[in-house]
Amino acid sequence: MATLIALLAATCASLALGAVHVPLGDVIDTLLGKQVPEASKQIVEVLRLPRTVEAIVVGAALGVAGACLQGALNNPLASPDVIGVTGGAGFGAMLIILLYPSSLTLLPVSALAFGLLAAFMVFLIGFTGRGGGNITRIILAGIAVAALFSAGTAGLMSAYPDRVPNGIFFLVGGLTSTGWDTLETVWPYFAVGFVLAAFMIRPLDKLMLGDDVAASLGSRPRLIRLIAALAAAVLAAAAASVAGLLTFLGLVIPHLIRLLGGSKSHTFVIPVSALAGAALLTGADTLARTIAAPVEMPVGPFLVLLGVPLFLWLLRKAV
Amino acid sequence: MALGRNQVEFDRQAPLLEAEEVQVSIGKKQILESASLTLERGELLAVVGPNGAGKSTFARAFCGLRRPSGGEVRWMGVGLGELRGRRLAEVRAYVPQRAQVPAGVSVQSAVNIGRSTHLKPLQGLSSEDRDVVAESISRARMEGFEDRDLSTLSGGEMQRVQIAIALAQGAPVLVADEPTAQLDLGATAAISKMLRELVSEGMGVVLIVHDLALAAAVADRVVVMSHGRTIATGTPGSVLTSQLISDVWGVEAELVHREGRSALHVEWLEDH
Repeated sequence: MATLIALLAATCASLALGAVHVPLGDVIDTLLGKQVPEASKQIVEVLRLPRTVEAIVVGAALGVAGACLQGALNNPLASPDVIGVTGGAGFGAMLIILLYPSSLTLLPVSALAFGLLAAFMVFLIGFTGRGGGNITRIILAGIAVAALFSAGTAGLMSAYPDRVPNGIFFLVGGLTSTGWDTLETVWPYFAVGFVLAAFMIRPLDKLMLGDDVAASLGSRPRLIRLIAALAAAVLAAAAASVAGLLTFLGLVIPHLIRLLGGSKSHTFVIPVSALAGAALLTGADTLARTIAAPVEMPVGPFLVLLGVPLFLWLLRKAV
Repeated sequence: MALGRNQVEFDRQAPLLEAEEVQVSIGKKQILESASLTLERGELLAVVGPNGAGKSTFARAFCGLRRPSGGEVRWMGVGLGELRGRRLAEVRAYVPQRAQVPAGVSVQSAVNIGRSTHLKPLQGLSSEDRDVVAESISRARMEGFEDRDLSTLSGGEMQRVQIAIALAQGAPVLVADEPTAQLDLGATAAISKMLRELVSEGMGVVLIVHDLALAAAVADRVVVMSHGRTIATGTPGSVLTSQLISDVWGVEAELVHREGRSALHVEWLEDH
């Protein structure tokens, strides 16, 4: 409930605040299609609404991706880094930024494609053959594949040092006011990821009681792991294509929820992580673009500044 | 059902479980050579044998947790290969040897998860399901523990929760792998009484156990395993002779068993 209110507040703030302040009344009237001053209408419809929707979708996606992955791998340290998505997406983005700066519109597609490619490599190594689906194997494969793509990114960066500054915004993670284009391309991936995640909620709860109990209940633990990790990979890769590498969110949001809510049940953790991720990213993004307006800060560092103290405080309180 | 596939019907007259010459291999190595058993309604069958005889492997194989490389398994007349997922969960519940104990999960929600085999993917528990869950908790004698976190339970309590989860599945057969291995005397007795109660209600129970005295006291029949084979089946008195114990365990011992009391008199320090 509290997270829902926080999300609503963050959404309102995100639509109203910015370099130019738009009264909340005008915001609501614009959304309802009523008559408002043209300038306000333009700002809300063209600039802030797409950006706010992006923040909500990306934040929710990262929260869900983290929760799914931590459940699937039964490992509290799991985040989209662990299955290589972050490394792959980073490489995909830098490839465009550094090698083909003239076709920047391809950046989201490239980030998404390489993020999924990296996850695919990890799944191929981690889930096939005898002993496939072993958690340690998946995580080690993920770390190795991530290292591979990071090395690729580093190689590109040292080959084109003069163009690196253009890529920093992507690497630290941030949203831009570029309208609906990116979302129009990647929304099916978000949709697929969210639907898969929703269907994995109960199987992940079974898995929480151990592979044998899940098997007793007629589930296939390997299959649950694979589908939940796949949902996380698709969500994280789609999120990276919109907002760069905001890995911190995926790792920390599910922990925040478990610590605050006191329950590990995925029926609780996954939906609430979606709300909380959306609220935190929307709030942090609003802050990032208003605090030194008209200069916009990338939201990644802001998220960390907001989230880390809260997280550390909860961590100490919990144990 | 939703897929409209023709479902094989369970045969209510057939034995609950028939396993014939089941084999399991890892790669080329055969770890279960030939194991057989039959379980009837209202029967407690104990599978006994030394460490490494293949008891757990056999149980996992006939429960469908690991693929047999040969032999035949039928649950109420239906071949194991034809039973997938929910259908298999309808007929048997498996209680693992070492339970995973997640913190932040209450007894109530753990047993609710046991009922989830009866639900469609995004459906919640009905009031009927809630009744079954409450009844499972009470049959496992865990009333009053509903809101306790699993990580705060003792070994015996945790084992009873595992059984409650299995009961919530609503299957006629319970297969428990060494449920008392790590429990003290009192907790072992409590679990034994509970398993006997389930049997008197008509369930079939397969108990994997290495404690011969316990097996003799609680089981209607025992199956003895050695080196990946089932070598003897029958009532505890007829099977667990000093000769067999000596052959299988290499220890001189005598099983004393009367009126629900049992003891194993072992010559611990004799060389033979």
